[in-house]
Order: sequence, then C-alpha cells, then structure tokens
Amino acid sequence: MISLTIDNQTIEVAEGTTVLEAAEKLNIYIPTLCHHESLIPYGGCRLCVVEVSRNGAADLTSSCTHKVEEGLKVKTNTERVRKVRRLVLELLLADAPEAPILQDLAREMGVTRSERLKPRKDDLCILCGRCVRACREVVGVNAIDFAGRGYSKKVAAPFFKSSPDCIACSTCFYICPTGAITMREVEEGEKARIPEGEIVEGPARIIDNWKVGLTMKRCKKCGEIIAPEFQLEYLRKKVDLKEDHFDICPSCRE
Amino acid sequence: MKRREEINSLKNLERLKEEGMNSLFPSRTKIMVGMATCGKAAGAGEVWQVLNKEVKKRKIDALVVKTGCIGLCQHEPLVDILKPGYPRITYDRVTPEKVGELLDGLVKGKFKKGIMARIDQEEFLLDDTSRRYNKGKIPAYLASVSPYKKLPFYKKQMRIALRNCGFIDPENIAEYVAKGGYFSLAQVLKGRKPEKVISQIKSSKLRGRGGAGFSTGLKWEICRNADGEERYLICNADEGDPGAYMDRSILEGDPHSILEGMLIGGFAIGASQGCIYVREEYPLAIERLEIALNQVRGEGLLGKNILDSGFDFEIEICQGAGAFVCGEETALIQSIEGNWGEPKPRPPFPAISGFRGKPTVINNVETWSNVPAIMARGAKWFSGIGTSKSKGTKVFSLVGKVCNIGLVEVPMGITLKDIIYGIGGGVPNGRSFKAVQTGGPSGGCIPKDLIDLPVDFDQLKKAGSIMGSGGMIVMDDRTCMVDVAKYFLSFLEEESCGKCVPCRVGIRRMREILEDITSGRGEEGDIEYLQQMAEAVKDGSLCGLGKTAPNPVLATIRYFRDEYEAHIKEKRCPAGVCKPLITYSIDAENCTGCGACQRVCPQEAITGKKKKPHQILIDKCIKCGACFEVCKFDAIVT
Repeated sequence: MISLTIDNQTIEVAEGTTVLEAAEKLNIYIPTLCHHESLIPYGGCRLCVVEVSRNGAADLTSSCTHKVEEGLKVKTNTERVRKVRRLVLELLLADAPEAPILQDLAREMGVTRSERLKPRKDDLCILCGRCVRACREVVGVNAIDFAGRGYSKKVAAPFFKSSPDCIACSTCFYICPTGAITMREVEEGEKARIPEGEIVEGPARIIDNWKVGLTMKRCKKCGEIIAPEFQLEYLRKKVDLKEDHFDICPSCRE
Repeated sequence: MKRREEINSLKNLERLKEEGMNSLFPSRTKIMVGMATCGKAAGAGEVWQVLNKEVKKRKIDALVVKTGCIGLCQHEPLVDILKPGYPRITYDRVTPEKVGELLDGLVKGKFKKGIMARIDQEEFLLDDTSRRYNKGKIPAYLASVSPYKKLPFYKKQMRIALRNCGFIDPENIAEYVAKGGYFSLAQVLKGRKPEKVISQIKSSKLRGRGGAGFSTGLKWEICRNADGEERYLICNADEGDPGAYMDRSILEGDPHSILEGMLIGGFAIGASQGCIYVREEYPLAIERLEIALNQVRGEGLLGKNILDSGFDFEIEICQGAGAFVCGEETALIQSIEGNWGEPKPRPPFPAISGFRGKPTVINNVETWSNVPAIMARGAKWFSGIGTSKSKGTKVFSLVGKVCNIGLVEVPMGITLKDIIYGIGGGVPNGRSFKAVQTGGPSGGCIPKDLIDLPVDFDQLKKAGSIMGSGGMIVMDDRTCMVDVAKYFLSFLEEESCGKCVPCRVGIRRMREILEDITSGRGEEGDIEYLQQMAEAVKDGSLCGLGKTAPNPVLATIRYFRDEYEAHIKEKRCPAGVCKPLITYSIDAENCTGCGACQRVCPQEAITGKKKKPHQILIDKCIKCGACFEVCKFDAIVT
C-alpha cells in the first residue's frame, strides 16, 4: 500500500492507483473531461491538474495519469490549479460554446466566455480523444484516429473518407462528452443519405462523422431490430460464435 | 588465445590509425571541399564536380576529398588545399569559375589569391597534441595570411563536440581513428566497470545538450539501476528549430563521434540496442550515418563481441517524418514504436520506462559527441571548462542579422557580446543590435541591455530564455518584437501535436491576439491578457513544447513592452515592420534623389527627378518595404 496526502487528508491506496482515483476515495472532487474509467488515462484536457510535491517544489500534473507515490503531497484546489483549469475552460468554451458539458463546468467554476476570443462555431469536438480511444481500447476496431496536428487536428476515418472499418456500434457517440458526434437511426421504409455518400434504406444507422451508414439486423423471430449487421458479425467472429447466433435477439433466445 | 585476439583488435585500431594519419598528412596534394548541407546549399556540389573534372583533365597529382562543416557557413563554399611542405590553405566563396585559377596557383606553387586563412597544424584534442602540416618554415607569401585560429570567428571558440568537423573526411573511419577516435571505447571495454564510466560522466558534470540540461551521468545511472533486463539507448537527432543546425553538422561532419559516444553509453547502462532517431529531411546526415555504421560493423566495432570484450551492441537508424514535437522524448519514443507522435505525461521518465516500456536513455547528438572526449581527457578536464553549473562547451548556430553566420562552439560562460560581436562580427549594414533569440522558437528574446550576460543554462533561464538546443538568432533595430513573437507562435501553433488543450488552443489564441495587435486591432488589456494566458499555458501544458511555447511572448513583453503599447495604443509599429500599421513616405530633407528607391519599387510608386527629393504615391504603394531596405540615407520613413 502507498500512503499519500491529498488536501491534508492522508490515505492509503494500492500501488498503481492514480491520484484522481485516490481523491475520489476521499470524496474530493476533481473536474475531468478526457478521462473515462473504461479508458487508459490520457492527460489531454488538463482540467484535472493538481499540484504534487514530495520534498520542495510543487509540480502541476494531470491527476488522471499521475500514479500515487509514497509520501506524495497533493493539493487539488490551489490558485495555481484554478488558473490552469480556468484557462482550459475558457479556451474550450471559445472553441465549442454550445457544448452543454462545458457550459455546466463553466458555471460550476465561475468561468465566463471571454469576449476577447472569437468563438469557433463549426465543431463541438474538443479533441479529448475519448472516441478514438474507446474505438481502439474497448471496441478494438480502430475505425477512427486523429488526423493532422495542432489546432487543425481532427478526429476522422482514414483520409477523411467513409470508414471501411466502422461497425456503427455507437460507442463513440455515447462516450463523446460534448455531443460532437451525430448518429441517426433510419427507420424501416425511410431513406437517408450518408454524408458525401450514397442513400441508405432503413432500418439503418448513420454515423455522420465517419461517413458510414450500416443496415440494422432484425430478429428472425420477433422482428425487433438487434444491432448493425457489421457489429454483430464483428462480435460473432471475435467470440467465435455459430454463424446463426445473432439471427434471433437475446430476448427471444431466452 | 583470448589475449591474442584482444591484441588483434587493438592492432586493428592501430592499423586504422596509421592509415588515417597517412590520409591526414598525405604525401600528395589533398584538396578538401566542405560538403555539409550548408556548403552544398552555397554551391559546393558544383565546385566539387568541376574540381574533380579539372584535376583529372590537367593530370594534377591530387586527391579530392569531402569534409564536413568547419563552421564559417557565411564564407562557403570552402575549399582547402594541403600540399606537402605547405600549411593547409583555406579558400572561401569558391565558385566553379574560380576553380581553374585555384588549380593554376596550385600547379605553379604559389596560390595566393582568395585565401581566407591558413591552418598550420592538425589538432588532436583527444590526445591533447597537435602536429604541423609542414615541417619547415611557413613560405614568406603565406606569412601575412591569418592562421585560422586567429580569425575573430575562431579566436574565442573551443571545439569539443565539433572537434573533427571540417578536418576529417566524414566518410573515412581511418581519419576518425587517427584523431583518437574509438580509443576511448577500446579503453572502456578493456576492463573498466560500467559504473566507473557512469561516475566519470557524472563527475564531468555534462548536462544534456538537447535543451533541458539534465545531468547526463545521472540519467545513465537511473537507467542502469532501473528494474528490467533489457535496456535501450537512443540518439535524439530530431533537430527542428528554425535556423538551427548544430546536430546536422555533427552528423554530417563527424558521424563516428556519435556512434562512439553511443557505444560507450550502451556499455555503461547495459544496453545492447541503440537507435538514432533522425528526421527524414536530413538525407545527407542519414547517408553519412549509414556509411559510418557499415564501417564500424566491418571493423568489428559494432555487433557481437566488440573488440573481443564480450560486449554486444547494435545501432539502427529510425527516420522521423519531421514533426517538431517528436524531439520531445516521450513523443519520440511513440514515433519509434510506430505510434502517433504524441507526448505522454512524465513520470514515468524514459530512463525508468521508455521504449517498449523498458529503461531507455535518450541523449541528444551533441551530448553523445562529447562523451568520447570526456572519456579520453577525463572528467576533471571537462569540468574545468565553463561555469559553476554548466560545464564544457555549447554549439550554437549563429544566424540572423550578424556578419559571420555560422556554427560556433564556445565554452559555457562566454558573454553574448563575445559571441555576437567577437565571433559574429556584429550586425551588418550599419544597423544596430536589438535583441537575440536563444533556445529556438520556444526560447526568449534577450535585449541589448543584457549583452554582457554570460551564456549558460541558468543565466539564460534567469533572463527569461532557455539554452535550448543551441539556436541563436540575432535581430537588428529593424525587427519588430511583436512580429517576432507572432512568428514563433505561428511555428509552434503548427507544430503542437494538439493533444493537450493549453498548448493546442492556447498557442493558437495567443497567436490570434498577436495577429490583431500587429494589424492594428489590438485592444486595451491585451498585454495583461496575453501574460495571464501565457503563464497558464506554461504551467498547464503536458510536455516541454507547450511548457516553453509562451516564452517568446513573455520575454518580448518583459523587455519590449513599449513596442506592444505602441502597436495597441498608437497603432504604430516602431520598427516599421507590421504592414497594416505603416505608411511609407520620403523625408525630403534626407533624400538625395539618388533614385535607388525608384529602381527597386515594383509598383512604380515612386516619382521624382534625379537629385531632387522623391515622393511615394500612397495609392500605388503595396508596402513591400523594398525602398526602405535600399535607401542609404534613412530618407524613407514609416
């Protein structure tokens, strides 16, 4: 076990625990954005920065990535910490002013949108990389990744074309904190166009960001929609199930 | 049996040394052309071709060989002639047309015209000896030619990392060995304990030359003591600062010094695999490294059981795509592993968990090149050079508004004045010195009031700049400091990997505000807002790129606040650089009517009769500044 102090409270946690996790145990709130418990810590948004010190000078570090160390002293809410958090929010708020999560965080921290920064309105994406990481680490498909560098960096399928690998599982859609990913369910009998692509007939699911539209599979018994065909096929192969395994839905199978 | 093999391997080095000595002091004439990228850019490639052709055509008994960059890039192409019985003679600014004349002189025995300097002796830094090229007297007609070490450019230099650049043929291992090369390695492998090697590097107080200045010996020790069987060693040759080319010159001019440094380092930390991460934009450096690697392999200095010591080591070259951020060690490792070149939070530091999660030492090219010298001359010798906390020398690429542009290596602690005025020859075209940017794009500008500042890691930091990897850009009074800050931020904005918010968005937004200020849209409070944002970006960014990116803004505000204020409040650019804020006009009192401005104006916007004051037609003027540049009487005003 490792013993450390967070905001003057001492706690013992297992080796390998992050400072953020340790703080959670003490019910100390640290705001996060790019962090997600199912994903490998990334340290990109810098909202969760804290001051850490052992002997002497304090360093600012992201609590989601920093592993606990014996005798570590952590301060989660100093002026230095608040300055960085406020900057992060101010910058993101100018980039994606419409994102509800940013508005909530800003309210919580008393940050208002800076008049000096021209708002960028075309995109809600704040490049936290949750979608990219979830697709890689959780789903294992790697359909999307970052493209470009710096401020012009984007999340996209290869060459900004329609993703050949996306299975339309919608993990990215649900894990995105700002709502930057749009997904449309095309009902039976309806038609819709994939961005820069063809028209698909329902039942289908379109994920606009990756320019994909995939047909949904129906249960052979009850006729209910189960999931996108590609996703079921991907799962079936991954777990090595029988070819007809997903022909009927889980409820009918029971 | 083993004993004999050991002798054999040392014998091999002795053989190479002899071969190299014969090549450094040849019995026939040797013509050397400075063929580093800087030389080639100045036209050395053409000179090389013509020289070879003419030597053949005229049946001159001479060898034509390549050397690396000797530093005086401003004077390239440089051609040196070493004729038996004479000192080595350097000709500068040689063109293909001048080659004939040069060879005529050589044939006749008098080669007077166009000589820049003479080099009387070959220095053997590692052995602390020197040897004259000619045994007898210096011929009378050469007596008046300055020995190169007495040229102002070289007088205050001390070349350790650059010891061989410009003196040896980088494609000839024998010459490197003749200069004492690989004997440090042999000595280390002959029975020194790895810990002893580390303690020697530690007590030399060598600090990493890539920028951060961490103790090299300590880094090695941490890595050696880290858990795990496998260890790796990396040479960071991902140099990418605008206008800086220290590492490239070493790679091109003396690749073996890096290989030897890495071999010693590998032995010390217990690694058997090394990698040189070099950017693809350095094709000549890569070519010379490949040649050097083949040579060491051929001589049994790389691979299995090196010099029969039982030590195995391999070195691979890994080419990067040229992203600036890949010079940051964690991003560099990601890149080598085939991933997106994004930095990772530290700790863990690479010395504990680096390449493939194994303990990894990453040192910069210049650091590696210093290692064999420290092993040969001892830690005491090295730590005797420099200041209390910065030992040894540092290579700088001295560029910008300075007379002698080039690559210089100076002892730590030398003043900026000595570098800029002493070595650099001051500011050209009668302009005055305004500031110097050290440490590359994320360094800071140091104003002329601080010209007596001794250059070392700590002093530069105190002055709001950094040592960085050694870029030094001199600026004259016609440089707008707000524009400079904007330029560096634009570079960094593009090179930010985009992973963390403060760096990706912060730099962009600061650049936008600077753009506003330089276009006359600056607002009251911008300076304070910039400072506040800069401090937070510095503190909150994930890696070194973001942590230092605000330096150009902070340093220019610190020293040139009045210029920012002039832009914001008076909508005026004092240096006359920011186009939206300037209108050119002619001061009738100063104008002599020489017509120089009229001739360079691309818009025919200048009218006036000869010897009478001219005028600028505002409607036609595109503010290109050509007239401003060309006027010798300061008659064009902004």
